[in-house]
Amino acid sequence: MKPLSKQIGSTLNRVDGHLKVTGAATYSAEYELPGMSYAVLVGSTIAKGRIKSIDARAAEKAPGVLAVITHFNSPKVPGFTPTGKDPSQPQTTGGRLKVFNDDKVRFNDQPIAVVVADTLERARFAARLVKAEYEQEKHETDMAAGLRQAFVPTQAKKNPKSGVADYVRGTADAYKTGAVKLEAEYVIPTEVHHPMELQAIIAHWEAPDRLTIYDKTQGTMATRRDFAKEWGLPEENVKVIATFVGGAFGNALHSWPHESAAIIAARQVKRPVKLVLTREQMTTMVGYRPHTWQKIGMSASPDGKITAITHEATGQTSSYEEFTESTVQQTRMMYTAPNVNTRYRLAALDVSTPIWMRGPGEATGAFALESAMDEMAHLLNLDPLEFRLRNYTDKDPENGKPWSSKFLKECYQMGAERIGWSKRQLKPGSLRDGDWLIGYGMGVGTFGAHRGSSKANVRLLPNGTVVLQSAVTDIGPGTGTAMTQIAADTLGLPPEKIRFEWGNSEFAPAPTQGGSAIVNTVGPAVQEACLALKEKLRTMAGASNAAFASARKEDVVFADKYLTLNGNDTARASYADLLKQTDGGFVTVESKPNGENGQKYSMYSYSVHFAEVRVNPLTGEVRVSKLVSCADAGTIVNQKTAGNQMKGGAVGGIGMALMEATHMDDRFGRYVTKDLADYHVPVQADAPAVEVLFVNQPDPHVNALGTKGIGEIAIIGVAPAIANAVFNATGKRVRELPITPDKLV
Amino acid sequence: MNQFQYVRPSKQQAAIEAVAKDANATFIAGGTNLVDLMKRGVMAPQKLVDINRLPLTRIDHDPGKLRIGALALNSAVADDKQVREHQPLLVQAINAGASAQLRNMATTGGNMLQRTRCPYFYDTAMPCNKREPGTGCGALEGINRMHAIFGFSDKCIAVHPSDMSVALVALDATVLVSGPRGDRRIAFADLHRLPGDTPEKDTTLEPGELITAVEVPDNPFTKHVSYHKVRERASYAFALVSAAAALDLDGSTIKAARLAFGGVAHKPWRLTAAEQFLVGKPATEETFKQAATVAMQGAKAFKHNEYKLRLAPNTLVQALKNATAA
Amino acid sequence: MNNEPDLPPSHDEARRNFLKQSSLLTAVALVPAPVVQAATAELDERVAAAIEKVPLKLEINGKKYKLDVEPRTTLLDLLREQLNLTGTKKGCDYGQCGACTVHVDGQRVNSCLSFAVMHDGKKITTIEGLADGDKLHPMQAAFVKHDGFQCGYCTPGQIMSAVACVREGHADSEAEIREYMSGNICRCGAYTNIVAAIQEVKNGGQKV
Ligand SMILES: Cc1cc2nc3c(=O)[nH]c(=O)nc-3n(C[C@H](O)[C@H](O)[C@H](O)COP(=O)(O)OP(=O)(O)OC[C@H]3O[C@@H](n4cnc5c(N)ncnc54)[C@H](O)[C@@H]3O)c2cc1C
Ligand code: SF4
Ligand code: FES
Ligand code: FES
Repeated sequence: MKPLSKQIGSTLNRVDGHLKVTGAATYSAEYELPGMSYAVLVGSTIAKGRIKSIDARAAEKAPGVLAVITHFNSPKVPGFTPTGKDPSQPQTTGGRLKVFNDDKVRFNDQPIAVVVADTLERARFAARLVKAEYEQEKHETDMAAGLRQAFVPTQAKKNPKSGVADYVRGTADAYKTGAVKLEAEYVIPTEVHHPMELQAIIAHWEAPDRLTIYDKTQGTMATRRDFAKEWGLPEENVKVIATFVGGAFGNALHSWPHESAAIIAARQVKRPVKLVLTREQMTTMVGYRPHTWQKIGMSASPDGKITAITHEATGQTSSYEEFTESTVQQTRMMYTAPNVNTRYRLAALDVSTPIWMRGPGEATGAFALESAMDEMAHLLNLDPLEFRLRNYTDKDPENGKPWSSKFLKECYQMGAERIGWSKRQLKPGSLRDGDWLIGYGMGVGTFGAHRGSSKANVRLLPNGTVVLQSAVTDIGPGTGTAMTQIAADTLGLPPEKIRFEWGNSEFAPAPTQGGSAIVNTVGPAVQEACLALKEKLRTMAGASNAAFASARKEDVVFADKYLTLNGNDTARASYADLLKQTDGGFVTVESKPNGENGQKYSMYSYSVHFAEVRVNPLTGEVRVSKLVSCADAGTIVNQKTAGNQMKGGAVGGIGMALMEATHMDDRFGRYVTKDLADYHVPVQADAPAVEVLFVNQPDPHVNALGTKGIGEIAIIGVAPAIANAVFNATGKRVRELPITPDKLV
Repeated sequence: MNQFQYVRPSKQQAAIEAVAKDANATFIAGGTNLVDLMKRGVMAPQKLVDINRLPLTRIDHDPGKLRIGALALNSAVADDKQVREHQPLLVQAINAGASAQLRNMATTGGNMLQRTRCPYFYDTAMPCNKREPGTGCGALEGINRMHAIFGFSDKCIAVHPSDMSVALVALDATVLVSGPRGDRRIAFADLHRLPGDTPEKDTTLEPGELITAVEVPDNPFTKHVSYHKVRERASYAFALVSAAAALDLDGSTIKAARLAFGGVAHKPWRLTAAEQFLVGKPATEETFKQAATVAMQGAKAFKHNEYKLRLAPNTLVQALKNATAA
Repeated sequence: MNNEPDLPPSHDEARRNFLKQSSLLTAVALVPAPVVQAATAELDERVAAAIEKVPLKLEINGKKYKLDVEPRTTLLDLLREQLNLTGTKKGCDYGQCGACTVHVDGQRVNSCLSFAVMHDGKKITTIEGLADGDKLHPMQAAFVKHDGFQCGYCTPGQIMSAVACVREGHADSEAEIREYMSGNICRCGAYTNIVAAIQEVKNGGQKV
């Protein structure tokens, strides 16, 4: 047999590429069920108060309408107990919004009714006829007011070791007495995920106690848990299907009111119900990156050693749920500094609950920290790269542990060379090309290399194909492709002989797609499952074949129609025979992280982004002309999809830096930037040819594959790189994103 | 969206009558603006008169003028050889608008009649005098970063979003209209109106009046032209401010100029005084800055659009620089 | 400089009333007047609906359809909800994303912004009609090869748009491609790879 090329590290095309380019990939709203009905949500038009009455008569009488459900007539949801806390939602306290459960309005455009009809057009029309009367209370949506009443998160109060609790190393606020001193405030507006696929769900009660949902979610298991709990059902009775997810970037990490509403509606009308949010509702109903205020105090010695950093951050949350994120984490571990302290607070407003958005708090925090690094370098008259090198740390200053692996210096070097960092001038405004000023900037990103527990199922089919199954979702990074590659190498099969199936809660349990942890976590499960399959098949074959009985599992070879042994291809066990005995050698394997390694090492992925920008000083237009992103993310399983992830993160970072922002009219507590014409995300013309460089060195401690995770570091540090480049081009420091023309003219 | 009656006349007169006779009827051309507004409940006509079967798509260059049919698509106009030759400013302006797909649907008539993108106008839960007279102007004391700095009233401070129209007003175009009481010609500068006390009325068209064509007279502005549009991303976004500049140069002396702003008023904003100022002056950045100061006479800003007082003149200077270099 | 416009002191009573209304105890959800009018005027929409379905002939991906549709049904909803041609995506429903791009008589358009009835007698091509049987269209193949997508949701629109972009002659340079493909948003940010795919097809000289 000819040797197989190694799949891990290759540029294998996506396994689902064909489905995606032919329109055959099926997303949540695209399943055809008999008797389908359509639901449209009606949102509140006040931000806070009580619903006095709802006049649904016209809507109910409208043609085709099957039901109008409000809190007045909603079927009782067993899980909506008055005090019901929801333990399945990590890091948040309070509870998810219980839709149609009471008369309270907690934010503007909160769902107050759902209209179900036999066609989409009819449901939409009838939804406009629903009229509500309110008793309005004074709302607060202004961050300035929220900041005045900022508070310590409950989680931090309960656990002083929590990542969101105050942290001090050395002396707190020591920067105030430093030799060279900087104090600056940085603001990130509310940003919205806006994946291209609108959030959608089809809810189908197959029996009074059996629910199937086709849902946009990043975690089929978590969604199953939430809705089983909501309806008081055993988890096995709820099936969640999310085979294709049209992007999410974090907004499908939580269960949201529209999902509950669709399930309630389906129960009421006794038909499958399809509910697709409008683009406006994507702003108000499925989370966002919270408006965050930050302040950095930093001091350094004249020779460029940081002596102290203080990082304060306050993020917006809702009145009913405490959402927290790791905004200040990078400051604790990125640079050597004897004195570091961080404070993280929340500001509760009458808005819906935020949710992690790509690179989450770390991306927000990196904007402040990495901008401040640039400002300090400028004060010291030092090259910002040199300044970072002078404060490089070879062990984790937060806890003194060694890094599991760290190749950030290599990233610095590769990236600087590729962007042409030597062209950068220390003095801002020095480079010009015709009407345009040119500037260079850099920003660093880091994110924990997390690994959790996961299972994987595997079995062999009589035709020699190996099928693996995992409940994990693939929201775009190419999880299915990476897992296929891992399985191919572990089994010694070509990728065409592997079928990895995902996105179904009935498959082997896997964690929610998020936190760049999926390859780290599910990868080892796939690897171990494949090894277990080999072992199981070997034993099965060994029952009637001595050669197999005495062989090692490593020597098992999958030939076209039979199993054989390395170095002994006369030993043969045909698949047909093997599979007569049992269920295809079906194995489920659970893979767990090595807790000991976690204790001994600090594990992080790193990125550094270099930006070249052009700024028109007359009009304030900024164009990113070049972006180089370098990553130390451990082993790169697929160069093509990983490169794509990095490029995508860079584009997200351009959006964050230059255009993304919502605007709220605080008089009404209502957003005015609700659709994609008013909320700008980058288009093709905004995206430079991003260049991606990987160190591609395996991490010896995270897992056996050596991976560390890519999704988050792809965006963390991009926005400050661009802001720093704009400063280098113009001498103007913008500390409140996005850097739109109005801020530069 | 409510049900509506749909008719598709093939005769111009029938189309005009259908709308003139019925206060709840309206024309639909490309639909790119009207369908959007109907989806959001901002407009709810009960009868749609589809004019796409009327023979109004021709683009002709006769001696002295270019005539563009009202149903000529934006993309067809921008790619037309005669238009490119005689009216390059118009081509630049059209291509600065929307996207390739939308320009394949948007018609010349529909583009000039598209309604404001003021977010309060679009959100039926917000007050807006233009959508519902008497409810108040949400933007006046609300979020008004996209709004007008010229010609507004205390009833409405919205801007007209069309890019094409900025070029047309600069180029002295004329709109050809056919209505229940016959045909008439409207100078492009008189097509759109200022909001005054009746912001619900965008234009001077009478009910049932159909735009049949627009005429652009030949001019010497075939080389030194620029439409510079500043927006919050590189493409597919409405203007914060745009400037159309067309120069007739004799060496480096300006013989004649045509200038207009977009994104600053309830109508495309012609800058006649600045044009006159430029005549006979050298085409230098210094002159352009002075002209921009003239152009800004009378501008006033609101809470969030104060930047336009700087961005607008600078954009004009940039457009003039581009035009000179072209 | 004071940039506040000179407003007469007590103008715009109506606006003030509106603000008062909504900041006091009771506020009424605004149902837009035209919608209410329309609802009440059409006393029985049920009857209206039956009468007002209009016949529509379309050729979609080479197949002829004779349909009866409500005039208010958009081309996009017709494809997705009635004909089960879900390859064409809905990303915004307002012409703001390009996910719904299809070809009508060979021209790329946003199917969400036009009523199906307006296309009577026309030829529609959707992503499902692009490949030649099992053989991918060169643009589809190039998208796979260059990984011109991640989640895949914008992809059908990108591909339909990309094919048109090349046919229109707007793919001559990277800058031109970027401008003429700006009507298709990819939130995953696969832009660079999309350009690479289009350039390959354009330079490869295959029939597009
Ligand atoms: C996402 C998005 C981005 C856009 N960006 C831009 C941009 O950057 N710049 C820009 O300029 N535009 C932009 N547009 C607007 C677009 O150019 C207009 O929607 C389009 O030009 C309208 O033309 P239409 O033929 O589709 O008009 P329709 O929607 O069919 O009609 C618009 C109005 O005009 C009336 N009407 C149409 N034709 C006639 C006629 N012949 N006589 C009398 N009345 C008539 C209709 O009754 C209707 O009230 C954008 C649109 C969208 C959706
Ligand atoms: S500016 Fe005009 S369109 Fe906008 S809210 Fe005021 S009245 Fe309405
Ligand atoms: S769905 Fe049509 S453009 Fe977005
Ligand atoms: S591939 Fe996800 S939006 Fe383009």
